[in-house]
Amino acid sequence: MLRFEKRENVSLKLRIFISVISVLAGLIIGAIAILLARINPLTAYKSIIIGAFGSKYTLTETLVSATPLILISVGLILVFKMNFWNIGAYGQYIIGAIFSSYFALFGPPNISRFLLLTIMTFAGLAGGAIWAIIPAVLRAYWEVNEVISTLLLNYVALYILKYFMYGFWRDPTSHGFPLSKPFAMNAQLPRIIPNSRTNLGLIFGIIAAVIIWFIIKKTKFGYEIRVIGGSKEAARYAGINVARNMIIAMIISGALAGLAGMAQLSGVIHMLQIEINPGYGYTAIIVAWLSYLDPFAAVFVSILLGALASGGYQIQITMQVPFGIVAVIESAILFVLIGSEVLMRYRISFAKGRA
Amino acid sequence: MGAPSSQVILTMLLSAAIRSGTILLYPTIGEIFTERAGIMNVGIEGMMLIGAFFGFIVAYLTRNPYLGFFAGMLAGGLSSLIHAFISITLQGNQVVSGLALTIFGGGITNFYGQHFVNYHLSTSLKYIAIPWLSKIPVIGKVFFNQDIIVYLSYIIAILMWFILYKTKVGIHLRAVGDDAQAADAMGVNVYATRYFWTFFGGLLAGAGGAYLTIGYAPFWLDAMTAGRGWIAVALVIFAMWDPLNAIFGAYLFGSLDALQFQLQAAGTTIPASLLTMQPYLLTFIVIVLATVIVRLKHIGVPRELGLPFSREEKS
Repeated sequence: MLRFEKRENVSLKLRIFISVISVLAGLIIGAIAILLARINPLTAYKSIIIGAFGSKYTLTETLVSATPLILISVGLILVFKMNFWNIGAYGQYIIGAIFSSYFALFGPPNISRFLLLTIMTFAGLAGGAIWAIIPAVLRAYWEVNEVISTLLLNYVALYILKYFMYGFWRDPTSHGFPLSKPFAMNAQLPRIIPNSRTNLGLIFGIIAAVIIWFIIKKTKFGYEIRVIGGSKEAARYAGINVARNMIIAMIISGALAGLAGMAQLSGVIHMLQIEINPGYGYTAIIVAWLSYLDPFAAVFVSILLGALASGGYQIQITMQVPFGIVAVIESAILFVLIGSEVLMRYRISFAKGRA
Repeated sequence: MGAPSSQVILTMLLSAAIRSGTILLYPTIGEIFTERAGIMNVGIEGMMLIGAFFGFIVAYLTRNPYLGFFAGMLAGGLSSLIHAFISITLQGNQVVSGLALTIFGGGITNFYGQHFVNYHLSTSLKYIAIPWLSKIPVIGKVFFNQDIIVYLSYIIAILMWFILYKTKVGIHLRAVGDDAQAADAMGVNVYATRYFWTFFGGLLAGAGGAYLTIGYAPFWLDAMTAGRGWIAVALVIFAMWDPLNAIFGAYLFGSLDALQFQLQAAGTTIPASLLTMQPYLLTFIVIVLATVIVRLKHIGVPRELGLPFSREEKS
């Protein structure tokens, strides 16, 4: 029989150790899955690493994948701190992308680049925030389960996007493909590394990480969020307005997911289409968890999982290994990680007989 | 030949609604029991995909859809044990574990399923008309001229209602979900109960997924459950944790699915994306309403849902 004893505090060393073990375990489980498909896992992993870090260009592509992960995950950290499960970054990302595209596609044509990008940035933030307010208010006042509501709104957002793409936002010259007109130059975020797709969105992400760190550590709001995360009852007893804090935190989280959608379109894809990679919204959950809800750790973990995604695309093209393997590895990492959280809460020893 | 009468169309539509609803009914009943035992498993979507895929593969290879159904069920059950181990033994976060299960199911079926995309089953389930019941106008054809997996779902729904409210097993199960410490004191094995019903939830999620690929749409497509697992999670609230209510919920959504499909087939001018959106939008509205009703009436909700139990930490 396993015996659990409560631990008082957890050293950083133990946390890092568990994260590293989780990633290794995830890679081993992924390797077994690859082996069962009669592919040499070492070759596959080597190709992922080369695909992610092998050249200057692939390295910049890893940063491209990391950009939305950073923006979304630091926002999720804020709401996860208060035990609010925003699973809806997928939808918030889509709505942010749609809002900002509206100005790119139908805004005044001769507007300056700076002004248009500023408008698009705010549109992306607003779109994500609006999509996040709905489940936040429903949770705050009526206790509607936010896991289910945010998730269902993801599908609603996806079909709204499809509605636009198969409807009047489709470019008449796209030969029936669900693509919008390409964005003009003044709707494109500047690239920060020459000859790459790495764009200003990455800087947005790093700024967001700093702001979220500041909010959590240095403001009254951040303090209240941590108290709510500890116990809602205790927070109410201490006179904290739980509902209001929940809604504000969700507005910030949704806004950052919406900004990620904007940055992906304006910085990378340069048009609205159905394939705008909202799946980052789910991967970012893993980032948040793997970084123990620390915004700076999230930047590094985003680059790591960005590399996995980027390398995963590469082996799909070069080795015909389906992209699902990335999800298998990611979920295995997550399983091991949450499974090992028990190590942080308790010291475990073997005891004879039942307690 | 004249145009089919409106009664024939209605019968066809409702009969399709039952089959579509069956895909939801299995996992909804399963999750009701998992949650009744105090474990929240939001990984239904992943378990359904696993059930759909392995059910399809076994049915394809053996040419026996029934064998496929059981294989899918078992695969769903086995996958739920990951969640059971993490949430019961290791007391990990149940929401995150369920999400991981969803991501895992999507990933593993995409990875191994690539090769089978657009493969079709050559064998299909037989419709069996129940003597004299199937002769009742409309209702007979709708409910009693179906395949055996649909009939099995009727039996399971009624049997599980009976077990939940009328047997000792049900009393113990509810005790574990409402107050694990008290159940433990009564001599109920909380861990075993939770493991069993989490596994049961996985079996039924697998069954729902397998029915999708074996009965409803006998081919394989990537991510073909398309969010039905999440609708099932929501239907648990709609059903207020009662298996009989789950029947109504599942068929309501089945009807909506069948209707939007028929409208698209009939060439309506409403854009397809708006029609396909309806089940998700309606589920969203329904869980908001159901939550408000549940709160006003204080019914159904297992009081310790999602809380880990540890014998060591008695308060």
